[in-house]
Amino acid sequence: MSHHFIRFRDVHYTYPGGYEALRGVSFLITHGEKVALLGLNGAGKSTLLLHTDGILMATSGEVNIGDVPVTRKTLPVVRSHVGLLFQNPDDQLFMPTVEDDVAFGPRNMNLPEEEVERRVSTALEAVGATALRRRRPFNLSGGQKRMVAIAGVLAMEPMILVMDEPTSNLDPGARRRVIELVRGFDHTCLIATHDLDMAAELCPRSMVMAEGRIIADGPTDEILSDIETLTAAGLWPR
Amino acid sequence: MSDRLQRAILTLNRLEQPGGGTDGTDIIAAPDSRCLLVLTLIYLVLMLSVPLADIERVLLFSVYPIVESALVGIKYTRLLKRSLWVLPLVALVGVFNPILDTRTVFTVYGFTVTAGWVSLISLIVRGLLAMQAVLILIYVIGFYEVAVAIRRLGCPAVMSTQILLVYRYLSVLLQQVLTMRRAVDARGYGRRHMSLKLWGIFIGQLLIRSLERAENVSRAMHARGFTDRLPLSRYRCWTTTDSVLLGSWTVVFIVIYLVPLGTYLSKVL
Ligand SMILES: Nc1ncnc2c1ncn2[C@@H]1O[C@H](COP(=O)(O)OP(=O)(O)OP(=O)(O)O)[C@@H](O)[C@H]1O
Ligand SMILES: [Mg+2]
Repeated sequence: MSHHFIRFRDVHYTYPGGYEALRGVSFLITHGEKVALLGLNGAGKSTLLLHTDGILMATSGEVNIGDVPVTRKTLPVVRSHVGLLFQNPDDQLFMPTVEDDVAFGPRNMNLPEEEVERRVSTALEAVGATALRRRRPFNLSGGQKRMVAIAGVLAMEPMILVMDEPTSNLDPGARRRVIELVRGFDHTCLIATHDLDMAAELCPRSMVMAEGRIIADGPTDEILSDIETLTAAGLWPR
Repeated sequence: MSDRLQRAILTLNRLEQPGGGTDGTDIIAAPDSRCLLVLTLIYLVLMLSVPLADIERVLLFSVYPIVESALVGIKYTRLLKRSLWVLPLVALVGVFNPILDTRTVFTVYGFTVTAGWVSLISLIVRGLLAMQAVLILIYVIGFYEVAVAIRRLGCPAVMSTQILLVYRYLSVLLQQVLTMRRAVDARGYGRRHMSLKLWGIFIGQLLIRSLERAENVSRAMHARGFTDRLPLSRYRCWTTTDSVLLGSWTVVFIVIYLVPLGTYLSKVL
């Protein structure tokens, strides 16, 4: 798979409870692009991101990661290419220690132990959490958990990085570190966020979601100045 | 309430790691996880299959928790204290024995000791010993490795994963209780007890939420390439020490089980 693009074609998704969270989503993110996904609470951002990794499967429509369509059969390939950061780090951290947790992905890829160790150290260092190595994830602070969760994704060395609100709960220093990390990541990136400053700084392109649809897609500066219009339409608060 | 909960979560999470149950003191000479698992199983099977009335033999089996805890560096008093947890359960099973079984076994200073009492005491001792053996296992290698050991012994991956997930689910459940309890307390205006109706809502919510969390956790595992099999690459190999440990204890257990040491002893004394 040489081209790490993400393509959604008319994707619909209805939660088991009957709520239709995605109502026809289509877009193409090409290799190396960094895209911000904006939208109000409940717009469907997290739902959309879960589709990039085959955690949720489209009720109808089609999701492609590079040349690979996301289906049950292709899950292992898709998941080895996509690194997904969950909105709630508590959902993501579950191993007894921080280092075990960061090593979880690489070990599942059956890498040799020295390589696992190298990746764990590199990832923890990248997020500045080396000191937390032997701590238990469950009693870290919210921001520390977030950083460790990011390390867990980085350790998989994904070709496509998909992050759900990576900067929420972070102090300014940690937020800055995450921004620099993403900037240094030269593959495809899709980031759902409420942090408009980060979007403006990192992502040349933005998509805006509302009620399960993408209602705007274009250069971030234009989108952000267009928020006036969105506000007028009742889709954005003052 | 919320303090006790936090401590419960802490203990649970500690137990997950090798040496976690020992409150900081390091485990000396931890055996291979498979070795200790097999050893514990042999012990449990033999010790629990001693007839109830044969109380001396059951008592002799206490040599394992006492010596092994010393070998790995856990204080036996700690082990004993923790193992008292099983008492209510065992008592529940055996409490009617003294009433139901009134055959006289022997008399001491005019007190008749009936078969019912003997079997109750025997039940209690067994319960304590079994719990102590299991605690040693979990303290030394940690819950996670118990699951790994099961897998390394050749059991199907589904089994070890199930065990791990049940454990995972337990800590998710406890954490959920804690968060919800805090939420209730925060707006409870100092009321100590929840009304019956609130309890109903609480339990219902708890189930739904922890199911949801469990679902999310499993999603996150799969997102990082988990395929329902624990990765096994990093574990240490079986050594001669492990064989010696397993071999010598097994011999001790079989001797206690087969040879009526108790009767010899009482003859000598
Ligand atoms: N498990 C679920 N079952 C049913 N409906 C759900 C479920 N999860 C989310 N929803 C609904 O789907 C919609 C989209 O939710 P989603 O989590 O994708 O929003 P979001 O854009 O990520 O919001 P936020 O900015 O708050 O994270 C919401 O209306 C939500 O109520
Ligand atoms: Mg979300």
